[in-house]
Amino acid sequence: MKYYFRALSLHLKSELEYRTSFIFSFLSQILVFFSYYFVIISLFLRFNNIKGFTMYEVLFCFSIIQFGFAFNEVFARGLDKFDDLIIEGGFDRILLRPKNIIIQILYNESDFVKASRLIQAIIILIISLIKLNIKWNIFKIVCIFLMLLSGILVFFSLFLLAASYCFITVQGLEVRNVFTDGGKHMAQYPIGIFSKGFVYFFTFIIPYAFVNYYPLLFVIGKSDNIYYAFSPLILFIYIIPCIIVFYLGVKRYSSVGS
Amino acid sequence: MSFIEVKQISKTFKLAKKKSGLLEAFKSFFKREYFYVKAVSDVSFSIEKGEIVGYIGPNGAGKSTTIKILSGILNPDSGECIIDGLVPWQNRREFVRKIGVVFGQRSQLWWDIPTEDTFLLLKDIYDIPDFEYQKNKEDLIDKLNLKDIINIPVRQLSLGQRMRCEIAASLLHNPEILFLDEPTIGLDAVSKQLVRDFIKRLNKEKKTTIILTSHDMSDITSLSKRIILIGKGRVLYDGNLKKLKNKYEDEKYISIKTKEKLDLKCTGLKSKKKSVDGYDLVIDTKVISISDILNKISKRVKIDDVDIENESIDNLIVKLYEDYKI
Repeated sequence: MKYYFRALSLHLKSELEYRTSFIFSFLSQILVFFSYYFVIISLFLRFNNIKGFTMYEVLFCFSIIQFGFAFNEVFARGLDKFDDLIIEGGFDRILLRPKNIIIQILYNESDFVKASRLIQAIIILIISLIKLNIKWNIFKIVCIFLMLLSGILVFFSLFLLAASYCFITVQGLEVRNVFTDGGKHMAQYPIGIFSKGFVYFFTFIIPYAFVNYYPLLFVIGKSDNIYYAFSPLILFIYIIPCIIVFYLGVKRYSSVGS
Repeated sequence: MSFIEVKQISKTFKLAKKKSGLLEAFKSFFKREYFYVKAVSDVSFSIEKGEIVGYIGPNGAGKSTTIKILSGILNPDSGECIIDGLVPWQNRREFVRKIGVVFGQRSQLWWDIPTEDTFLLLKDIYDIPDFEYQKNKEDLIDKLNLKDIINIPVRQLSLGQRMRCEIAASLLHNPEILFLDEPTIGLDAVSKQLVRDFIKRLNKEKKTTIILTSHDMSDITSLSKRIILIGKGRVLYDGNLKKLKNKYEDEKYISIKTKEKLDLKCTGLKSKKKSVDGYDLVIDTKVISISDILNKISKRVKIDDVDIENESIDNLIVKLYEDYKI
């Protein structure tokens, strides 16, 4: 893994080459991102709750998803931008290196500016946890760590699937945004506020609900079901077929070519 | 068994038909038609350790496909390839440690940071021990004259400087085989010479096996004794470059400067063309000697100037392509 961290440090160095641009992007990210939270806060200034969920419960939910997404943007952006790697032929170079293919893709690009979102997400998470008056126990603490981890995993898995699709064609990639960006926007809220169909979709097809909704119910005491506390573990299983599909794509690439 | 052993490899690509016109584009959106291209068929050759081989052929002949197969990026539909006891596309991680690849058209250096940083990343990727890394790096800096450019962000380097860094980056891990895919493309004469001299030296000192593709025939002539000519996916010629030259060496090019009209017909004169200020002739010296033909001409017209040339290697290749109908 040493080479992975070396590559990340080189990315940071590259970005710092353009220092002014880096600082301004970083600041603007903070502002843009704050506007997201502002929408939620102003929503709750008018309505007391959404289908029984209070403001801090929604912010809790929101920050978990934002954390997972921003984490991938900083540490695995190459996977998100995999189509470029295929189009520009950089993937051939990866195949010429004696290291794991996926890890090499991860560090191919990075966006450290997004680290600002990561920090914001953690701050919002801590604030909402304090304001929520949670009766803490060991399971709840473990549960929150699992939520953060599974938030990372869910986007990682989706990026992997989208990347696998690039092996077949790099056209029509916008479809993936329905699942990543579109899904992300819905999953920022407790899935339960949406109709049944969405709940099933985000439970069984793209398991966002296991990342923040079910564990949220457990942490805030709306449910005592201990299974809910460990539901983020589903994502550790979900990622396995995604990795397999990706390697099938690699196999196809080396037999079909670009 | 040879160091590199390639036996009857074939590779066919399936490509979508693209027709012009909006209607056709719309149709193909729903129903794709495919056609098949045989990129390489039945290619066989063997290369010994320490050889330099020029791999030549026109665009689309299958050069890149072969290089991709040999370096393990692509696997062929059929055929065998064993390099130093390994099958490239089966033992990928183990195999790629043995090879270095330079793509003249694609950079592996990080654009915004100095070359030395890319070197450090490569050190980690290839797990090069500190001592060895230091030794190799200094050696390459010395031989490729990188001292002043290694600490400049790559985007500020000239093409020639970048190519030198590029080559150094491919050799940090001491590969046994070096693939050079058009290493001198776009370089000026001085940089070209530097790169060539370095490659020669590398081959001599470290016994690195080198497979070189280039459209610049002077690259090939100055570096390799052996060429493999490929066209339409098949090996057309594999052997000594000199022998190939000898085959065509009997032909001489004579250009004559004269203001008068030349009327000449004789055996051994293969072609006669009017040029701007005289005539260009091609003769076969097996049939007629140079002095004889000059004698004949000078009897007919007043020669202002004369130029006699051997077949150039570029012409030779054009001729080869014509002979093999590729």
